[in-house]
Amino acid sequence: MAWFKRCTAVSAEVQAVDLGFLTFQNTSEVLRAQKVLSRAGWKIRVMGPPPEVRTGCDLVIEFPLMEELRIVKTLADAGVKPENVVPVASPLLKPVDLYTITDFPEHLMVRAANMKITVDRHSLVIVNISGGGCPDVPFLAAAMTGKHLSKAPQPKDIGHTLCAYALQLAYEEMLKRCSP
Amino acid sequence: MSTTTVDARGLSCPQPVILAMNQMKTQRTGEFCVLVDTDTSKENVSRAAKSKGWEVASIEPEEDGYRLKLKKG
Repeated sequence: MAWFKRCTAVSAEVQAVDLGFLTFQNTSEVLRAQKVLSRAGWKIRVMGPPPEVRTGCDLVIEFPLMEELRIVKTLADAGVKPENVVPVASPLLKPVDLYTITDFPEHLMVRAANMKITVDRHSLVIVNISGGGCPDVPFLAAAMTGKHLSKAPQPKDIGHTLCAYALQLAYEEMLKRCSP
Repeated sequence: MSTTTVDARGLSCPQPVILAMNQMKTQRTGEFCVLVDTDTSKENVSRAAKSKGWEVASIEPEEDGYRLKLKKG
């Protein structure tokens, strides 16, 4: 039994360090890094940082730790330098999922970081955009509210702020959840 | 006939919008009021109403927020 417990603990540890995350000086660096790595075909995710490593920027990039050297080189070739590379060595260091899904009887809400999008489940019409605090949020809300999810303009095409970026993530997650 | 009032005070977005939308679905035409307690909710409910073809007939400031009168038909 003791052997079993030891084995379990070891395998949990191995699993925990499979992932790492990159922190950056500011959000625009995170967004640049995401573009560079996605274009290069790396499987990465933009996440919220665990509280222990918050640097003032509220996004990090989760990546497969085994690929650290190649990923950092890909970024360096593009002129992007992460502030820190952190292995996910304990559950407390796990990046936080950016998405919160709230199920209302007739509506579905997806929140990504500080932005929320709500659609009517049956018609898939966007009924509300809220959150943020960036200057373009009222514009984004006016442009998207009342439109079908698939026909609304995408925040990445019409917005310029971190709120627009977060809303784009929420929009994409909503599209995924509402696709047949 | 008395006008229905939807009380969305104390609720965070998108709940005021959802309550107003539910009333629009139930009522389809006529008028009803929505009570909200933040500027954001006032803007969001107004925007959602207009997108559904409802007119925001009036917005009256109240002690603890706003009373929106929505009309259609």
